[in-house]
Amino acid sequence: MKNISLGFILFFLSINIFAQNNGEIHGDFDLNMQSYIEDATINAVAADEVIRNNSFLNIIFTKNNFSAGLRYESYLNALLDYDDDFKGNGIPYRFATYSIEGLEVTAGNFYEQFGSGLIFRSYEEKGLGIDNAMDGIRLKYKLLKGISLKTFIGKSRTYFTYANGIFRGIDGEIDLNETLKLQSKTRYIFGGSFISRYQQRNNPVFELPQNVGLYAGRLNIINGGWNYYGEYAYKINDPVNSIQEDAVNYASGNAFTSSLTFSKRGFGITGEIHRADNMLLLSDRDRIGKAYIMNYIPTLSKPHAYTLLALYPCATQAMGELGVQLDIFYKIKKGSLLGGKYGTKLNLNFSRINGLKGGTSILNDNVNFTPEILSFNEELYYSDINLEVNKKVNKRIRYNFVIANQTYNKDFLEGKTPGEYGVINSTIGVLDLSYKIKKGHTLRMEVQTLIAKQLETASKKEEGDWVMALAEYTISPNWFFTIQDMYNYGNDDESKRLHYININFGFLKGANRFSIGYGKKREGIFCVGGVCKLVPSSNGLNLNITSSF
Amino acid sequence: MKKIIYSLFLLSIISSCEVIEGPYMTGNGGGVDTNSNQYVKNILIEDFTGHLCQNCPDAARELEAIHDLYGSQIIGLALHVGSTFARPYPLSQPKFTYDFRTKWGEELDGFFNISDAGLPKGMINRIDYPGDHRKNKGQWLASVQQELDKEVVFGLNINSSFDGNNSIIDISTDALKDISGDYKLVVCLTENEITNWQKDGVIEDENYIHNHVLRSLITSAWGDDVSLSTNISNGENYTHNYSVNLADLENFNIDYSNNTLFQGNGESGGWNQNNISILAYIYDNSNYEILQVEYASLATN
Amino acid sequence: MKQLSIILIATFLNVGTIFSQERSLPNIDVKTLDGATFNIQNLENENNPIVISFWATWCKPCKKELNNIAEIYEDWQDETGVKVVAISIDDTRSMSKVAPYVNSSDWEYEIYLDSNSDLKRALGVSSVPHTFLINSEGKIVWQHKGYIDGDEDELYEQIQAISK
Repeated sequence: MKNISLGFILFFLSINIFAQNNGEIHGDFDLNMQSYIEDATINAVAADEVIRNNSFLNIIFTKNNFSAGLRYESYLNALLDYDDDFKGNGIPYRFATYSIEGLEVTAGNFYEQFGSGLIFRSYEEKGLGIDNAMDGIRLKYKLLKGISLKTFIGKSRTYFTYANGIFRGIDGEIDLNETLKLQSKTRYIFGGSFISRYQQRNNPVFELPQNVGLYAGRLNIINGGWNYYGEYAYKINDPVNSIQEDAVNYASGNAFTSSLTFSKRGFGITGEIHRADNMLLLSDRDRIGKAYIMNYIPTLSKPHAYTLLALYPCATQAMGELGVQLDIFYKIKKGSLLGGKYGTKLNLNFSRINGLKGGTSILNDNVNFTPEILSFNEELYYSDINLEVNKKVNKRIRYNFVIANQTYNKDFLEGKTPGEYGVINSTIGVLDLSYKIKKGHTLRMEVQTLIAKQLETASKKEEGDWVMALAEYTISPNWFFTIQDMYNYGNDDESKRLHYININFGFLKGANRFSIGYGKKREGIFCVGGVCKLVPSSNGLNLNITSSF
Repeated sequence: MKKIIYSLFLLSIISSCEVIEGPYMTGNGGGVDTNSNQYVKNILIEDFTGHLCQNCPDAARELEAIHDLYGSQIIGLALHVGSTFARPYPLSQPKFTYDFRTKWGEELDGFFNISDAGLPKGMINRIDYPGDHRKNKGQWLASVQQELDKEVVFGLNINSSFDGNNSIIDISTDALKDISGDYKLVVCLTENEITNWQKDGVIEDENYIHNHVLRSLITSAWGDDVSLSTNISNGENYTHNYSVNLADLENFNIDYSNNTLFQGNGESGGWNQNNISILAYIYDNSNYEILQVEYASLATN
Repeated sequence: MKQLSIILIATFLNVGTIFSQERSLPNIDVKTLDGATFNIQNLENENNPIVISFWATWCKPCKKELNNIAEIYEDWQDETGVKVVAISIDDTRSMSKVAPYVNSSDWEYEIYLDSNSDLKRALGVSSVPHTFLINSEGKIVWQHKGYIDGDEDELYEQIQAISK
């Protein structure tokens, strides 16, 4: 450890010299510290260390077409909502890249996505504790005008080590108009990708493929306000290393996603459909967990920013789901009756996700099953219909209003026994009002309410109704202060009708931000893009510092 | 030049996918040498489980399948741990009221940090500690294969008799090579064929048969020294003797459940003496790796 | 803990010397709403200031910032010729909503899509909103994290300062 700090000091001295010669060094820093106190009422466990912290420091050097960088991460110990395996300190991310005449070479760690990510996405999502950066070599090459190729070979990161599987991938994209120099108003973009994962296998009973291949093809057509995107992906047999007949599944996987968008001034509409069947790609076939997922099938539901709208979030079922989503954006004109002086913005969103008929594809000596392609009457996993209204009333007042109705199949999405909680139907209303007191001083208030209905026959009672209120006072450009309370007034169990109060105070200046907060957090599920983590309930102090230079 | 790089990449990538056709079960492989004079290396699969854990029976079945494949070299131990998956329901409920947890199971779970990360999880001879000792059932086969290749260091023999009141356990350990280090012997009692509730996938099975369930440890969780000296020579033999009274052990568990365990209700009794077995293992105290394990029936009359 | 503090001290001591450094735009490609690829280094505004703002359709303060600026954007442009470039970090989940949202909001900004966060990482952005101000030489001279109602006034002061 001493060597590391000495190394850092030398490192920074050399940076300074480097910096004088037309090179640049930049970075950003993030520290997130939380204290955990025991609180039996909300089932919050105290942490032995009392304080836990996640922090990282990114540094990038660039000089002309060369850039290199690293990230130092420290988990001493990681916050309770992160996987236990994030332990200790290290430099899990370092890279060097240069580009010359259309060829870009990266050695070390990199992130990559092919198409929409159906067969491969290496990315980071700090909020979830996901970081499956690749470590290896990547080449990007602009073959001709409009044709670009990328290939890579590497292993994927899990915590402070690398997963077993070796990935090789190639992706090509061609923009027809550019390449063929068409003068058409319609733009056509085609793309194709291939991924292969090698993992050594030595199963005494089943012949397991050591190389698992995945293909995908995509098409994007754009014409003025119209935009169509479609992608189809296919995975060749990827069974798990088991010796039980019923556990090995040689079925191939497939997925498709299709979206059509139209937009013009004041109006926009998007329709999307996606389906996934046996399409989970893991960096190590034998392991379980979100740290090993290598592809990205985002959930087809609206990412909600308001707490009660996101109380029951949907997790993607890569093994089998069919989803549809529709969004309509409309701005009621200024000066009209409904529009008011400044116009009113509306966003109507509808999404519905159900399972596949009969479940996921299975192929082994006993079963050979492929579910129907389009069947919308199957088990409902999640549905959401909501309307958001955004309006500026006058120079001082503006508001956001959302009304939603969500259906959440808690038994299925959270892996409970059928009949335990059943399906929860909630009606949610949110009013978010800002009032400008004077120049630079704004008071924002939010009131949210959730009314939940659960099937009578469910054996366990869900939490019931909630109400939430929040007040935020901000002084531009530096200060903010927030106080909020989430109250579970509708819980059948009177002892569980708890208030989750939180206060937060912060200071921002330029690229630095400090915030300190204190309060209770409810146990819940936090999802980003359909990948979820369990957040344990907690009671304590939270400190967050971020900075960029 | 760039074209060559690309062609090379393309070739290596495109040739790398395998399509396997059925029938899939080849049925060969498995089974190891059965030379009855020599000691073989036995492997302990510690299956951390709970009756509320619906994915756990799959792991128990994987353990059974591995046992069927490799025979008596595979010894299983089911530890019901944790308040999330193994806590019993209150006695007023019709199901899941049994408390399978034990003092030693909780202690081992706490030390090796198993159930915190979700169940089912297991340890295969406690290899790869720390850092990678918690294994998903998908990793068990490969870990077992890796362990089977290792050489045998100790040989264990278990004998049991009954003196009218108590069961007597005699454990004889033979060192099979010269080694030095700190080795500990742990002796457990397990029970087979306990029929009780278990969540299994989407159903709740009233008649699930629980096997090799940990009932009690005769030694402490960390065991007794195998040898008093750190240098052990090939051919040396050590004996350990224990006297156990099943009724006392059963009462201990009942009291422990009532007084100490989270939401414990004392429903830890009803042991069937005829189904109780002895499971003994030797581990290396420097890295907790289990070097030998043996299993035998307990004499109760 | 001690090691961490040494590293932190070393970093912050150096930040002082490095802080005054101007920053160039990195060599990263983003996509336009039309599907074309665009290299961020090709941003240009006839030597007038450029504002780059990272946002996402799910980020409330980001939308608030860009909507507030939209109301006075014409005035800003008349006075300083500034161009606002809004870079969306929406990934595949919400990328298709960017164009309809932008159009229905009547934004006049240049919009780009950074769906795997390549540009976001290269500029050291850890959370959105994050705004950068670029001068006539194409160098980043000012940046700001987060958004509080009224911050657009501070941004405008910075724009005016460099547009003279």
